[in-house]
This record gives sequence, C-alpha cells and structure tokens, in this order.
Amino acid sequence: MTRIAYRQPEEMTEQARELTLKRGNLNVYRALANADKVFTGWMLAGQGVLTSPVLPIRLRELVVLRTAHLMDCPYELGQHRDVARTAGLSGDEIKAVTSGSDWQTAHFEPVELAVLHLTTEVLTTRSVSTEVFDQVHTALGSEATVELLMVISRYAGLALMLNALDVDLDESARLPIPPVHS
Amino acid sequence: MSRIPLTSIEQQPEPVRQWMARRGNLNVFRLLANAPNVFVGWTQMVDELFDSPTFCLRMREVVILRVARLQNSRYELTQHIAIARDAGLTEQQISAIVETEDFDAAGFSDTERTALDVTTELCTTHRLRDDTFAAAQAVLGDEALTELLMIISCYYGLALVLSAVDLDADATARFQP
Repeated sequence: MTRIAYRQPEEMTEQARELTLKRGNLNVYRALANADKVFTGWMLAGQGVLTSPVLPIRLRELVVLRTAHLMDCPYELGQHRDVARTAGLSGDEIKAVTSGSDWQTAHFEPVELAVLHLTTEVLTTRSVSTEVFDQVHTALGSEATVELLMVISRYAGLALMLNALDVDLDESARLPIPPVHS
Repeated sequence: MSRIPLTSIEQQPEPVRQWMARRGNLNVFRLLANAPNVFVGWTQMVDELFDSPTFCLRMREVVILRVARLQNSRYELTQHIAIARDAGLTEQQISAIVETEDFDAAGFSDTERTALDVTTELCTTHRLRDDTFAAAQAVLGDEALTELLMIISCYYGLALVLSAVDLDADATARFQP
C-alpha cells in the first residue's frame, strides 16, 4: 500500500498536470506530486530522458530494466517489463536482463552487452572498468553515453523514491512510449 | 581524468550559458552538456530543488553530504563539503556525516537527525522500514518528506554518473546554491 496520499491531477499546476496526463497519470507521478515545489522540474528532467531520439528505445529499456532489477524496485519492474515489450524486447530477453547473470549468456548485441556490463558495474561497485567504459563510449559516442548514464541515474534515484513510498503498481496504466519503427 | 571530453561554456546555447554563469562553470555541467536533450530539463530540476523554500540550505547540505559519502562520490564530496561549511555546518558535523557517523555527539537538530536516518537507511538498503518511514512522516509531513526523497534521488543518481566517468574535481569553481 502506498504510504502517502496521491495528489489528483486537478490539484496540480497546469504544467505539472499536462506532463502527468501525457505520461499516463501513473501512481508514481501522483505520489511524487506531493513535493509540489520540485515535481514539475523533476518531470521536465524526465521529459528529456524519455523523448530524446539519441539513445534507441530498446537500449534505454534494457538499461531501465537492469537498473530496476539491481535496485530491487518492483514498481519499475512492473511498468518497464511491459514498456520493454512494446519497445521490441522479447520475453526471454526481459527475463534474462532482470536476472542475476543470465543476460551474460543471452543473445544480446555486443554493444547491448557492454551497456549491461556498465550498468551492472556502476550500480554494484560505484565504478566502471576502463575496458567496459571505452567499449560503450566508442560504440555510442559522447552524447549517447551521457544520456545512457543519465538513464541509469534517473531510474536508480527513482527506485529509491518508489521503494521508500512503497508505491503500488498501476493496475493497467503504463508509461506510453512512441510506437517502435521496424 | 574524465573519460568523456568536457564541453566548453562558449559552445553552449545562450540559456545554458546563462544557467552556468549563475550556478557555476563546473566540470559536471560541462560533462552533462554533452547531452543537451536531457541536460536542459535536468537544470530546471536543479533550480527547483535549490529555489524551493521547503528546506534551508543547511538542511539540504546535510542530506547531500550524506548521500555523497554513502555513494563514495569524491566529486560530490569536494563540492559539498565547501558548501556545507558556508551553510553553517561545523567541522564536527561535517566529519560526523562523512567519516565518524557519530551523529549523536555532533549536535544536529531533530529534523536533521531524521533526515540523516532516512538517507542512510534508504541509500544502504534501497528501502525504508515502517518505523523509519512513520517517524519521518511525523516530523516532516508528506510534502517535505517527498521533497527530501527528491534531493536524495538526484544526488544518488548523479554520483553514479560522476563515478562512471571518473570526473575530475573542479580546481576552484563552486556550485552556487
């Protein structure tokens, strides 16, 4: 049970309400809107992460799921298992990336594996080996690498808030993402 | 040595240049500006966190320093030990937060103590026990408690970026809270 009362969109400022509704009016937003002096800024920071075309959505969702798993965050896992599927990940891939080490032997592309190594290393040891970092940086370039790190940063921080507030997973509402172009 | 080249302030669009002129020409901003699609929104979040009247500067710095310590972030510690001093924390209090963990002897207020307990438990276990949460909710209320979580979240996440990139501490530039 969520430990604080949800704010309703009607109680939010126009900008916060617009951003909340655009992203599916999820429990996470209605819980965090309790911090109404900083909620809009937090939503704006997320807007960039969710809409930038620089990092492919598939790669982003791999990182989000890996982060959610390592941060032990049921809410993020519940949302992003479905979002990841929409982004083109298979059921087996989702299972592998949310497990201890199965992802290392699953059939991911080399760049995806490198990104998963980076995510795992930084979240478990607070550092990244030079080899792994260089592999990711060389494959993605500086802009996408910084975006990738900001995805880890955002979802790791968000996991703490979701776990602290014990936010209930939405029954059916999911974060809408643009359709995948194949 | 930073593993990603830092952008220069001159390369930035005018609003970002102005923001960095106001908040500081820091290595962390020059790093994040490599990703303009996410950096601009992130600066708006930082502004709200530091412009909000909910917590005084001192209280925010107590929390930020504790997160920086628990995340072992050399960069955050270098920046925020200096800011914490300016915000009125004593050397004993700073040392309690980043070294000794002897909070009882350092003369923190009850609210600061509550914030330290929440921060420590959340960063080390990734959750809060029922009694920790209830105590914090009673002292802070829903709005301030959620805002406290926002501060923890921001610095916890940022520390990961800084460690991954191995960002160098700034020689003299300081964040302007």
